[in-house]
Amino acid sequence: MSVLRIHPEKCTGCLRCELACSYMQTGDFQPAKSVIRVSPFEGHTSYAPYTCTQCAEGWCMTACPVGAITINAVGAKDVLDDRCVGCKLCTIACPYGTMFYDPATRKAFKCNLCGGAPACAEACPTAAITYEDVTTEDWLGDFARERTERVLTGVQ
Amino acid sequence: MTPATVTAPKQPRTKAATTARPGGFAGNLLRVDLTRRTSRAEPWAPETMRELLGGVGLGAMILYRETATKGGKGNVAWDHPDNRLVLGTGPLAGLPVWGTGGLTVCTIGPGTNGPTSTQANGFFGTNLKYCGYDAIIIQGQAKDWVYLYINDDVVELRDARALIGLDTWDTQGALYQETGLAGHQLSVYSIGPAGENLVRFAAIQGDYGHVASKNGCGAVMGKKRLKAVAIVKGTKALHAADPRGVIQAADEMAHDLRTDPSARSLYEYGTLPGVVNLSKMGALPIKNYTTNLTSNVAGADMSAWEAPKLRENFDHRGHQCNACGMHHCHMSIIRQGDRKGAIVDEPEYEGWSGCGWAIGSADRDGVAWLNTECDRACVDVNEWGWLCGWVMECQEKGYITREQLGFELKWGDIKGAHRLLQMVSRREGLGNLLAEGVKRAAEKLGGPAKECAIYIEKGATPRGHDHRARWEEMLDTCTSSTATMETGNPVHPTEIGQPARVNPFDGEQVAKYVAGLRGRRSFEDSLGICIFTSRTRLESICRALSAATGWTFTVDEALRFGRRTAAINRATALRCGHTGAMEYPSTRYGSTPVDGPAKGQAIRAQWEKMLDTWYAEVGFDRKTGRPWPKTLKGLGLDWLAKDLWGKKA
Repeated sequence: MSVLRIHPEKCTGCLRCELACSYMQTGDFQPAKSVIRVSPFEGHTSYAPYTCTQCAEGWCMTACPVGAITINAVGAKDVLDDRCVGCKLCTIACPYGTMFYDPATRKAFKCNLCGGAPACAEACPTAAITYEDVTTEDWLGDFARERTERVLTGVQ
Repeated sequence: MTPATVTAPKQPRTKAATTARPGGFAGNLLRVDLTRRTSRAEPWAPETMRELLGGVGLGAMILYRETATKGGKGNVAWDHPDNRLVLGTGPLAGLPVWGTGGLTVCTIGPGTNGPTSTQANGFFGTNLKYCGYDAIIIQGQAKDWVYLYINDDVVELRDARALIGLDTWDTQGALYQETGLAGHQLSVYSIGPAGENLVRFAAIQGDYGHVASKNGCGAVMGKKRLKAVAIVKGTKALHAADPRGVIQAADEMAHDLRTDPSARSLYEYGTLPGVVNLSKMGALPIKNYTTNLTSNVAGADMSAWEAPKLRENFDHRGHQCNACGMHHCHMSIIRQGDRKGAIVDEPEYEGWSGCGWAIGSADRDGVAWLNTECDRACVDVNEWGWLCGWVMECQEKGYITREQLGFELKWGDIKGAHRLLQMVSRREGLGNLLAEGVKRAAEKLGGPAKECAIYIEKGATPRGHDHRARWEEMLDTCTSSTATMETGNPVHPTEIGQPARVNPFDGEQVAKYVAGLRGRRSFEDSLGICIFTSRTRLESICRALSAATGWTFTVDEALRFGRRTAAINRATALRCGHTGAMEYPSTRYGSTPVDGPAKGQAIRAQWEKMLDTWYAEVGFDRKTGRPWPKTLKGLGLDWLAKDLWGKKA
């Protein structure tokens, strides 16, 4: 299946992905409701986006007591709003911090790959997020480790 | 540190809006009174949003309405508590249009003691809009140092005494620590020592490398004892009338920037290509306008100043503003020499100019470092270049002695320049006089020293070019009401009925051109968009604005809006005491280049004619500087015509 591949070294921290994602999630622009989040590394010099890797283990699915998390047509774990009771167990179970809870709707929400055309990948001006048929993995681990050794790399 | 006061903004009771709020706007103006230590959110009407948009459109009107002295004849001075500091965004800020982190600062500044409009980016506009505000209006004066903290509905004036003395980067770091936030989660715009010490060309710096630099707006902040404005990335929603339309217009503008020959180098390298390109036109200022030959700078190898080589000299990484895909802003690391490992903000062209060529240095590492030191001290890098270059020339010629300055400062001496920067930003020794800016310092020293100083009679200094080879910018700078270029560079001039190019040394053609281009810049500076990402067709920008707001905003309305804004700023400037007699370059600024590509081109010989033409074209009275009643009425400013002309209107 295709997944969101993160190329952290290409991210410039413009946060356009968050805007595009929130538009898909809510119909408005509201980064607080985005399910892709850009984090700073080494203070102000490096940024990288992070979102659900659609991991095989599916801890969120396992934890959900009402079976509200299912797998959609493009293989993404997706929250069924009419089943979700807002207990937040999934947000605790997810080891990556990519399950979110919206107090306005009292539902959990997460990346559902926009049904196969992820808005974040389309919005990213530097191709730091791509939608590819690859095995998902921890895209940020090496990058984060490298940040501790040197602040900047020679990328544009 | 505990909050000195906690005042959640109150919603005043207002009449229900007659029409729905247009998209793109957060809907509130945040008014902060530092004297009373209060704040409140003021909803503004949809009709006013269309009339003023934001940025300089909003700021100009606030200054005109709120900074008059009693009776409306005079204006409060820059250091009066009733002066306003308007930190405005605009309807495109925070949306997915490239470069929309926009901040426009409008205030009465100490350079000209008149109005200002000066821009910066980063994430100020984004964070503020998502907190629910379109602009911050700051008035009054705090008793002791405070900083303004905004987190959605929580607005606090917090004790900033522990931050005093810190430079702008360290202030941001300290506020990251205090709030537990980092990166774009917290946008911080602050002043460093220069602002605290009321240096007349102090800037407001934010988000590591973004600077609203003109007319000493940092000194206004210092006078108000406001050390910083820290805005958490808000959690509210921004509604767009046609969100897909906004994204489509943004993509179209991005395509233009990537492919249009006039914008492509900017897309790839930001303003870096300016150094080499301008040197070929004689518009790169070298050694305080004493020469236009790069070979007169020790160690200058122009091949090393080509944009790719300039960038590759450093380890670097993109550091873009909101939603921006330009390869423009970068953070860099110095690879070699004394300052190896130092993190700097990649200088803009004006940094390379003001901290380099204008002071006779071609040391790329040293210039980049000094440029960031200017940002950290919060000193306008343009005026810095004119000031430091002037001191260097004066010392070379014996107009300022070693004893006066306290040390010897030669062309290209980066360490010495840094020492001078510290003296100026802390007002130590001769630095106390130099902190008054080039014009006032030169007038104080007088004689031949005054003759070699670069300034405008209004009290400001030009941007970082040699305008003796860019006449349109010198005319724009001198006739502007905002202490810096008000019309700006032509972008797709034929789109608004202007010729594609004019003879750059024909005063009349140049004056007509500057007058004809008027309006576009003021419009763009009201939207919350960057000057560089708006280097696209005006029609595309209007389309983005229309999609965001739901209005049908045309190119004609945009130009009309911009000219209206400029007329309002002109009215405030006149009230501040500006006159036509101040619309002249200083002796050196208006001198004739002695060498280089523009050698012998004498702008002063054509200056009067240029002013005559410009005044006739823009519809202003040459004698008094006032826009004619006919001009004002044509812009729908009948009320202003009455204010300026009384019964004659």
